[in-house]
This record gives sequence, C-alpha cells and structure tokens, in this order.
Amino acid sequence: MTVRLDDTVIRLEGACHLEDADALTILLQTGEARPVDLSACEALHAAVVQALLALKPSLTGLPPSPFLRDLLLPALAVERQARPSNL
Amino acid sequence: MAQFLVEGRELVAEAARGLSALALQPGDAAAMEACFRALHTLKGSTGLFDLEAMGRLLHAAEDRLTAIRDGAAGDLDALVAMLDQVDRWLDSLERHGRLPADATAIGQALAGHIREEAPTEAPPAGAAWTIPAEFAGLAGTALRYVPREDCFYLGDDPIAIASAIPRLTALRVSLRAPWDPSEPYDPFTCNLVVEAVSAAPRAEVEAGFRLVADQVQFADLVVPKAVDREAVAPEEVAPGDVTPGEVAPEQGGGARRSLRVDAARLDRLAALADDLVIAKAGLAGLAAQVEALPGGHALGQALRARQARLDRLAGDLHATIGRVRLVPLAPLFARFPRLVRDIAGSLSKIAALEVVGGEVEVDKAVVDALADPLLHVLRNALDHGIEDPARRRRAGKPEAGQIRLAARVDGDQVVIEVTDDGAGIDPVTIRDLALQRGLLAPEEAARLDDAAAIDLIFAPGFSTAASVTTLSGRGVGMDVVRSAAAGLGGKVAVTSTPGQGTQVQFRLPLAMALVRILVVACGTETYGLPLDAVVETARLTPDRVVPIRSGRAFQLRDQVLPLVRLADLVGAGGAAAAGQGERVVIATVRGQQVGFAVDAFVDRMDAALRPMGGLLAQAPGLMGTTLLADGGVLMVLDLAELVA
Repeated sequence: MTVRLDDTVIRLEGACHLEDADALTILLQTGEARPVDLSACEALHAAVVQALLALKPSLTGLPPSPFLRDLLLPALAVERQARPSNL
Repeated sequence: MAQFLVEGRELVAEAARGLSALALQPGDAAAMEACFRALHTLKGSTGLFDLEAMGRLLHAAEDRLTAIRDGAAGDLDALVAMLDQVDRWLDSLERHGRLPADATAIGQALAGHIREEAPTEAPPAGAAWTIPAEFAGLAGTALRYVPREDCFYLGDDPIAIASAIPRLTALRVSLRAPWDPSEPYDPFTCNLVVEAVSAAPRAEVEAGFRLVADQVQFADLVVPKAVDREAVAPEEVAPGDVTPGEVAPEQGGGARRSLRVDAARLDRLAALADDLVIAKAGLAGLAAQVEALPGGHALGQALRARQARLDRLAGDLHATIGRVRLVPLAPLFARFPRLVRDIAGSLSKIAALEVVGGEVEVDKAVVDALADPLLHVLRNALDHGIEDPARRRRAGKPEAGQIRLAARVDGDQVVIEVTDDGAGIDPVTIRDLALQRGLLAPEEAARLDDAAAIDLIFAPGFSTAASVTTLSGRGVGMDVVRSAAAGLGGKVAVTSTPGQGTQVQFRLPLAMALVRILVVACGTETYGLPLDAVVETARLTPDRVVPIRSGRAFQLRDQVLPLVRLADLVGAGGAAAAGQGERVVIATVRGQQVGFAVDAFVDRMDAALRPMGGLLAQAPGLMGTTLLADGGVLMVLDLAELVA
C-alpha cells in the first residue's frame, strides 16, 4: 500500500503512482489536517506532487532518494510558502 | 440562478476593482490575480446555466488577461467594455431570466475586439518567462516545462521526466494556476510548472524532453556578473522571501470564512431580538411590584439584579445582530460606474464617476433601499447637471463631467453624497416652474429663500426637465427619493451653486439601533422621549414658574429656561394639574435647554425604534414608534421638530 493512514499521519510508501493522487486527495480533504510522512517514499508521481502543492499538508520525514530529498522536497517547501511564479 | 446573480455581480465588481487597480499600477500582481480569478469563476458559473455567449466572452477576456500578465502591452478598455456588457447581461438575466437575443452577436463582436487588441505575435506563455530567483548564479541550461492539462491521461509523468534530467542542479515545481479552494480539487488535471537548471549541455537536456518538446522552453544560463545580479534580484527575490505567515492568508488557507444567509432569516432574527428587548422591559415593572409587597423587598432586589443582567445580554444580542446586518456599500456602488457610462453615452455627454467610501458598512435594509434613489440622483446629475461637452468647454470646464459618489460615517449616521460639477440648479427657474405648476402661491414663492426654492425639487409633482427625456422624466421625481430616505429614518437635502454644480446629501441611520427613551405621561397618553436629548428631570413648585408674555419660564439653578407643556405640543389636551408641583423634563433642543412639563415620569427603557411608515411618515415631531411590553404602541417624539 503506497498511501496509508497511520493513526493521524498519512504515509507515502514506495513508489507513488498516478492513482495514489486520488487516495491522497481524499485523505487530505477529509478529517483534520494531517501531516504527510515521506520517509519511506521512493518516487512520487507528478499528480501526487501537485496534490501536495495544492492542498499544502505539512510534510515530515526525509525520503532516501537523492532526487526527492535534495531537489524535490526543498522545491516543495519553498513553493508552498511562495506564490506561483510568473503571476 | 438567484445565487448566480448575486455572485455574478460580486465577481464583476471584483474584476472591475482589479482592472482599475491594474490601470493605476500595471504590474500589480495581486490585482491581476484577483481579476483573473473573478473572471475564471464567473466563466465557470456560466457553464452551469447555459449562458454560452457570456462564457465565450469571458473566455476571450481571460485569454487577453493572460497575455497582459505575460507581458503583452495593451490597455484595459476592451476589458472594461467586456465587464460592462457582462453586467448588462446580468441585468437582463435578473429581469427576464435570459440573455437578450442579440447576446451572441454582441459577445462575438466584443470578443473579437478584445482579441484584436492582443498583439498577434505574442505567443501565449512565451518569451515572458523570467528565470526564478533561486536559479540566480547558476550556470548551464535552464528549462521551463509546462505539461499539458491532460498529460496524466497520456501517461506522462512530469516529475519522472524532471528526475531524469542529467546533472540536475536546481528544481522548482509550482502550480500554474493557484487552486481555488471553493472548487473540488481535481487530482488528474495537470496544473504544474516545472522549472529546472541542469549543468549538462543543452543538447543533452533537450534529449530527455523530446516527447514533450512542445511544452518546454530552454534558456542558456550564464553566470551573471555581480552587477547584473543585483539589477535582477530585487524584483525576483520578493516572492521567495516572504515569510509563510504573511502569505498564508492570501493563499488557500485564507478561504473566505463567510456564510450566505437568507436575508429573511436575518430579519426574523432581528425581529425576535427586538421582541426580546420588549419582553424583558416588562420585568422592571414586575420587580417594582414585588418590591412593594410586604416582605418582598429582598426578592424584588434579586429580581432587579437578574433583570439588569438580562438587560445587558439583550442589548448585546441586539447590537450583535445589528452588526451582522451591516454590509459594505461597495457592491451597490460598484454597479454605478457602468450605469453612469451607459447613461452618459445615451445623452452624448462625457462623465466619470468617482466612488469613495465603498467600505462603509450600513444596515442591509439601507443598502437594499438605496439602489433606486441613488440611481435616480445620478441620472438627474447626468441629465440636468452635467452639461454637454460643447457647453462645458464654453464655461471653461473640462469636457468630461465629474460626478462623485462618496459615503462616510458621521456618528451613528451614514452620509452619502452625490456631487456633480455641472450647471447647478437655478433657484429662479425653480421658483418660476413651481409657480407654473401650481405648487405654491406667488406670495409663498416670494418668501422662499434660495435654499428653500432649490428644495422644491423634492416637492411631489415637480420635474425640472424642460423636455421630458427618457431618463429622468419618467414621472418619478425627487419626491420619491425623499420619501425613500424618510422611509429609512433618514433625510435628503440638496445644495447647489449655479454654474459650479450640485450636491445631494443623504443622511441615513447606520443601523437600526436601540434608543434609550424616557416614557412620560401627558393626561391619558404616554409618549417616549429620546434620552440622549434629556439633560435632567425636575419637580417644580408653582412658585418657581413665572409667566413671560404669553409663555412661561422657570428658574433652574442659575438659568431661566422656557417652559412648555408637552401636552400642548402634541395636542393631548387635559388641564394642567394646578396646585401641585409640575414635573419637568429638561432637554436640549438645538443647543438650548427647554423645560417640557409632563404629568408623570413613567419609565425608562431601551427600545428598538421603528421608523414611521405610510401616512405617518410625514407627521412632524415623530421620530418613530416602538412596541411596549403590553403590546401597545408608544410614539417617540422628536423634540427638536416639535418646538420648531
């Protein structure tokens, strides 16, 4: 299972695919604000990234993949605070 | 549909606000975004109601706005015209429930006009790409990848493509359009912008994007010289450097925390609160009765303490509901600039409307009832006030007439003024016309000063238009405006300087507030007096009252004050109780203290004052009425008018 609700934390595990965006969206839009834990995440589909950008959950955990950890995660952190570019 | 009309108006107003902000400051990103969002939401709603012409026009406007946002030059006039048209269509929808028959043709013409203005060579989202601030100082190949909306269905994964970029040194992922939290989030429509820098040669980077080449732009980055960096940095750094706390409310987190409530329910709530105030007023009498019982003193005191608490709570509740009913004037005002342009156009005049004070909040009933009177006054200003361009030139004025619609708060009233710089009102003409129309006798006319003569425009049956025009001369005169203001518990007055302009001033209550009143008895009748006018109450022994000519006066400490019988003023009759002391209410009337003799002080109470309606609206000396605890009606007197 790639998107899993663990008590109050949403865990993304393994490689998250397009269809996981739907499950994530539902989890993020129901109930209280839940953090998303990425520590076991290996890859993220763009649709999942977009859901994280749009719905702005707080993110915890460092994924092992250098691309996710060093490039994508910082980009997400910056972007979720700033306005979209070119507006 | 009713909801759509309400929202449609708001969105049009919002877009108009955005456009005017943009006109003042072309680079204003927040205004651009607000405008964009309003148009987009409106366009979305048109789909629900099969308003194709409106949808297509809005779509064209959106495209145009995108082009401007991306740096295309262009003025906003076509967009303003577009908004005016949408607003006109909303009028038509409200009145007839559908768009006019010519909507498609007009829409196409306007859309064409909007598109024509767009420079043809501007590629959408093209050359306007600015390299993000985070990439400053990096060298290599920069790219901006805007995947197609349906790319997920085509099997593209933009993030996977980005992760495959060789020697990736910087990555930025953002949403192309901010997600509007009022719409369901669609996880499968791609809304991403990926920007990246690679240290690899351009050809190598391009290879990874060959399948989506139409969606990517590349740029070669050279490490800029220090000077250049400083020149570029300031405008680019700003967005990235904002602290989360500052930005959060503007983004999704600050979703409007408001609720649309049926006005009728709110009115019911307000009426209930009014009734509660009346019901609790009965407790004071009960407490007094209990206190008077043998042994009832302690219980009476306790009851009184409870009553005081209930008093405060009911007062709070009433005030809170009053505040709920307060709405800003802006949505009402926002409709007038377009109407003024339309009317001016049909009269071949040029006029600009300046709107000030839209943020002033007043009772919803006041806002609702003001639309027609204000429109009428504006029409008059355009029709009779503002001269045609040729005459204005001869008079040494700019060709475009200026009309100013301004609202401000003055104490517990809102003052709304419509001022024009037109020809003004000539008191002589008004007097002559009033004579001609038999509104007053010649000797009356001679006695009128200029201000009173100008005030005649409010007289029923008066219309100053020499020729009846389609606009103002529709048999509805300024008398309707005055009665509308009176119906709201307010007043309207006009001042004018011939040759320089006219000002119509409304003074209306901000809210239907609680008024503290003193209840007094005159013979068998009881009346309320507003407590804020009352200075003190006193008992006079007959020897302190001295007759002065036909009136009477009395000495109060070191002053001599005139004494009038309230019963005489209200015509209640009844002989003055001779021999025993007189009860006197000392009140301030136009800055002067006057004693009003009454038969008894009955009570003090908070009352929700209802303005006089119908025939009584014109009755002088009456401020309003309120319901008593026993269901009776108490008339509250306006002392200043009574002694006039």
